[in-house]
Amino acid sequence: MVQITINGKQIEVPEGTTVLRAAEMAGIYIPRLCDHKELTPYGGCRLCIVEVQGVRVPMASCTLPVNNGMVINTETEALKKSRKFVLSMLFSERNHFCPFCQVSGGDCELQNAAYDEQMTHWPIQPGWNNFVVDTSHPYLVLDNNRCILCRRCVRACAEMAGSFTLSVAERGAKSMVVADTDVPLGESTCIKCGSCVQVCPTGAIIDRTSAYQMHDKDLTEVKSICNGCSVGCSVKIMVRDNRIVRIEGDWEGSVNHGVLCEYGRYNSINETRKRITTPMMKKNGKLEPVSWDDALKAVTEKLRPLASDKDGIAAIASTRLSAEALTAFKDLFAGCELVTSLEEGMPTAATSQFAQRQGAFEGKLDVLRHADTVLCCGANVGRTHMVAGFLFKRNMTKGTRLINIDPEENELDALANLSLKPKAGSDLALIRGLQAIIVKEGLGRSPLTVPKADTLIQMAVNETGISMEQLTQTARILANSITPVILFGKGITAQRDERLVEELYKLAVLVGAVDNERSGLLSIKGETNSLTAALLGLDQVFQLNGQKAVYVAVGDDYVSRSLVERASRAPYLVVQASYESKLTEQADVVLPVTIWSEQEGHYINLDGRVRKTTKVVTSPETAHDNLTVLSDLAKQMNISLDSNWRQAILARKSSLALN
Amino acid sequence: MQTKRAMILVSNDPESIRLGANDLIKNLTEALTAYDLQNEVEISTLSNIGTSNILPLVVVYPEATVYGPVKAADARFLVEEHLYKGRIATDLVAPPKQLSGNIGWLRAHKGYNPAEQRIVLERAGRIDPENIEEFIAENGYQALGKALSEMTPEQVIETIEKSGLQGRGGAGFPTGRKWKFVRMAKGEKKYVICNADESEPGTFKDRIVLEGDPHTILEAMTIAGYALGADEGYIYIRGEYGLAYRRLQHAIEQAEEYGFLGNNIFNTDFNFHIHLHAGAGAYVCGEETALIESIEGKRGEPRARPPYPVTHGLWNKPTLVNNVETLANIPAIIRNGAEWYRSFGTPSSPGTKVYTIMGNVNFSGVIEVPMGITLREVINIYAKGMKPGSMLRIAQTGGSSGSIIPASLQDTPMDFESFRKAGVSLGSGALLICDQNTCIVDLVKVLLQFFRFESCGKCTPCRVGTQRAYEIVERISQGKGKLEELDVLISLAQEMERTSNCGLGQTAAVPIRDMLKHFRTETEAHILLGSCPAGKCEMLPEVEHV
Amino acid sequence: MIAPTIECDVAVIVKEAIEKHGAARDALIPILSEINHALGYIPAEAFQEVCKQLNAQEEHTYVSKSQLFSLASFYDMLCTKPRGRHVIKFCENAPCHVVGAKAVWDSLCEALDLQNGETTPDKKWTLVTTSCLGLCSVGPVVLIDDDLHGNVTPDQIDEILARYE
Repeated sequence: MVQITINGKQIEVPEGTTVLRAAEMAGIYIPRLCDHKELTPYGGCRLCIVEVQGVRVPMASCTLPVNNGMVINTETEALKKSRKFVLSMLFSERNHFCPFCQVSGGDCELQNAAYDEQMTHWPIQPGWNNFVVDTSHPYLVLDNNRCILCRRCVRACAEMAGSFTLSVAERGAKSMVVADTDVPLGESTCIKCGSCVQVCPTGAIIDRTSAYQMHDKDLTEVKSICNGCSVGCSVKIMVRDNRIVRIEGDWEGSVNHGVLCEYGRYNSINETRKRITTPMMKKNGKLEPVSWDDALKAVTEKLRPLASDKDGIAAIASTRLSAEALTAFKDLFAGCELVTSLEEGMPTAATSQFAQRQGAFEGKLDVLRHADTVLCCGANVGRTHMVAGFLFKRNMTKGTRLINIDPEENELDALANLSLKPKAGSDLALIRGLQAIIVKEGLGRSPLTVPKADTLIQMAVNETGISMEQLTQTARILANSITPVILFGKGITAQRDERLVEELYKLAVLVGAVDNERSGLLSIKGETNSLTAALLGLDQVFQLNGQKAVYVAVGDDYVSRSLVERASRAPYLVVQASYESKLTEQADVVLPVTIWSEQEGHYINLDGRVRKTTKVVTSPETAHDNLTVLSDLAKQMNISLDSNWRQAILARKSSLALN
Repeated sequence: MQTKRAMILVSNDPESIRLGANDLIKNLTEALTAYDLQNEVEISTLSNIGTSNILPLVVVYPEATVYGPVKAADARFLVEEHLYKGRIATDLVAPPKQLSGNIGWLRAHKGYNPAEQRIVLERAGRIDPENIEEFIAENGYQALGKALSEMTPEQVIETIEKSGLQGRGGAGFPTGRKWKFVRMAKGEKKYVICNADESEPGTFKDRIVLEGDPHTILEAMTIAGYALGADEGYIYIRGEYGLAYRRLQHAIEQAEEYGFLGNNIFNTDFNFHIHLHAGAGAYVCGEETALIESIEGKRGEPRARPPYPVTHGLWNKPTLVNNVETLANIPAIIRNGAEWYRSFGTPSSPGTKVYTIMGNVNFSGVIEVPMGITLREVINIYAKGMKPGSMLRIAQTGGSSGSIIPASLQDTPMDFESFRKAGVSLGSGALLICDQNTCIVDLVKVLLQFFRFESCGKCTPCRVGTQRAYEIVERISQGKGKLEELDVLISLAQEMERTSNCGLGQTAAVPIRDMLKHFRTETEAHILLGSCPAGKCEMLPEVEHV
Repeated sequence: MIAPTIECDVAVIVKEAIEKHGAARDALIPILSEINHALGYIPAEAFQEVCKQLNAQEEHTYVSKSQLFSLASFYDMLCTKPRGRHVIKFCENAPCHVVGAKAVWDSLCEALDLQNGETTPDKKWTLVTTSCLGLCSVGPVVLIDDDLHGNVTPDQIDEILARYE
């Protein structure tokens, strides 16, 4: 700890703290513009200058580390004058005519800072350049005329999203924020995560969809968990008049620390599917609106006789449902054999099966932050689970390596140090081959032995179609890493094959990714509650076997063509859904349910964090909560749903610790 | 004008006159006539040479032999010996120690300006820079050998510290202390960087060293590497210096071949490697942290300090950054010792300084003279006077980041301490001499154009301040300025100096400050009279409002 | 000067630059300088090519094209837009200015009918100002491609320009 004095107040702060943060700890606010707590300090705007005893000129407090015995002043007359100078410089630089700006009146940090310093006018005649406003992006407008060149967006693009799309071009007064090689933002490599708009202190980057829709102070902020995938990012949902205006990443979020992906920020509220607002039943081959009572009565009549027959009903649920709903779903169809979820035979199933033998073996997402090599096995974090990808992509300019194994071309190929494209179905041979090379070259970190290494290596080369050279390079990079992480997903057969998970585990042990201290082996799983579904055992393949009825609790999820095909083979189809789809078209009964923002419940993300989502808006009256629908049905069918979800998920061994 | 073979300078300050300088001049003139040398030798006077007990003083060029004290009766002997017979009149030669005043101990090299003292430029122009053997024959790599075989790293640093050498890049930080910081910094890996990004307008002294004597820099860096415990060095050379780059590249190859660079230098276990890194055109990269960023493949934006490069430099490792001229002093100091070095210059600013002279003078070029001579001496002796019809009006010392001074300050001794006292910056040693046809407003406008063009844009005060200041000065130069804008300029300059992140923004304020400190009347004339006293600025015609 | 098969050229140029300067981060500016030297400017596809080739090297230097573009646009000697066959760099700093650079500049602008930063319609000339080239003892200084012209007076301009094809 270090002792310092700020404005006469003595405080003790940890070594390495910046003066600006130390002041915050002491309850002293130092004005700042370029500083942001999730970004590397930059020291550019110079608004946060402070006086340090014994130093001739003021210092930028955002970059200044504390020193023992340091005496700091933040509120001298000279400093106030300097702050006004810095602000008047900024106002004179570009188009900061506040009345025309969408963030004016409370949401602009520049304007707020000027009010804080009691500024009433610009003492210096402006003489700005004009920049072309970039409106090419679907979600953002980039207006360099309102930019103060704080580089928050550039830093967020690199340090949060790992996208490295934005940068500052030119220098001096001509400096401007550009995408890639100064192409329109909408045509750039932008991944549309919106981190830049979330950190922009002025109106230089604005959110198209929520622009000019009231100030933040007029919006209600509700914290919740994103329902997009199993990463489970923390979100702040901005609501007004029972409508979601905007979603932002929650800076306090332990998984994402403020960053979101395109899905989480935009897609989840840009819904184009048609909402189902009333229960419907098929009459004369056509779906007709009916009352909830009639619909439930019809379903009960049909399903009650089948509910205790093990081949009577096949039931499948989306893993976007809450843990409560999934548990109720499992209980409701407890008498039947084929009760599963959309994770069916996909992510998590094999992992979960392996866990029954091995116990908890998976690591936490945080290992990705510190990985020096990441091996992605069929885990295309360039398209899904993107925030998990951000956690290591952001370190790639600092030397983190990426090896991408996927039979298909994918988004990671462009970033990867090495991209291996094994022939379909050759994954097992590939992983065994890598193990064999490491053991043969004596690079292993564990005493694991591999018999018949040469044969395995030859098999790997033959089966995968990957050159010996590439395999060796991969093995060496992995084995020579200090903090390697292996991330696997549905792109390789691992998820379906328990043996492959076992081989990946062996590889991880061999390269030191898994040891007593940490585990750098992680499956990215599927949707929001896929781990819960796995723990509940809802992971069999949905293969009909003469069942007389099918119940699909699809919720607000999308349905695949394959599911539609399989489900519609049943003589009787009940679909519990929020949106119209090919599946609901086939259904005999459609039960309208709430969507993610209209309901609450528990979710367990891919690394075992158990969290509750919040209801942020009220649903249309006719849409019922997923859990309510299942409970109502159970009541009518005389089935008791007394399982507690917290107990239910303990029935199986988890592949990682829950918390 | 007829070219004379030699020149005699006689001191004629009040003290010298009291001691008979006028008689001496008379006798010298007679003696020249007696030997029929009056058409070959010129007699001139030398003023303001500082305190000395060897007055009157006589300096004979081109040899730049200093005689003193010379009595009137010695005149004939001196002329006969030195100018007629062509040998030094040894009996009359001034003891070198006595003369550490303004001119110092003077010695000349053939073919150069008189009265130079060459340490930094000792070999430049005399040896073939592409031939290592010529360098070796001129004591080259002797200092490295001495350091490696006879001295501990601590002794090397102690010698540099005792020599009083101060950084020649502009800031004047004691070199020995900087070395000590890097030596003491924690870390296995350390770097030595030679700052050869010489971009200060009007400065080309480093280029002369790099092109003329590249091995000196390699030798100095290797000595530094040994002293600091570094095994790797970078020379960051500005991209425009193609010839210097090629010569350095060649020199590195030769030095490696001869075993002065690489592994096991001088058969010790000391290894040192030097990388040559060319810049790509950015003045700000002369700032040491911007330079480091640039080597690391980034935009040349200066870092926040602290931490300083001595602890967190290249790749975050302890790093020494020294300017070319600073380094070029090192081998000579190691060879001859700290005491020897201290015999040049002034007690607070030992050694020599390399200046580049340009502007409205008869001779433009590079000179190396002891610290502490005055601008008047530079102009009259080394620059061979102002151009015909020109009169000294404005001088800029130290490049764009240096000071602008009026003629009245030309007698201030040019050393770190005296300049600091006078509020003047020695900067990079570029001396831009301007005559009565130079307009201060026009000059400052050009300087601000340079700063706004070269500002990296990282920090607000410099990025916007240079731009706004340029616009105001441009308005003044067009006769469109307002008197109250001068106050805006002053506070702009003050705040830029206080709040900018690096030296660029801080020094960009200096020309503004100097303009309003020394040349306010002339500046106000533009505003109040709508005309340029020097006739330089083009006034915009009044726009008629219909 | 620029061959029609630019993609092919760029790949070769980048490859050679990496062989010469290495693939570590401290080679970024030297690599960009080589491309600039070979092509007269750095086309957008060259940035992409540098990213690709560096990433494939053993050092695994990961850099994005925006970072490279940002770098190139920062440094005055690197250019991201095509220029004329001959680039005239005119020193606009004080040492040249006080010895009459302004008149030389005016004469240049008039002779070429160009303003600072512009290129003639026939793509022959590009005129830019530059900061001090360190050749102050022979100011005013005009640098055409790699040829230095010192002590230039306004009336020499036509004769100097006539020397270039």
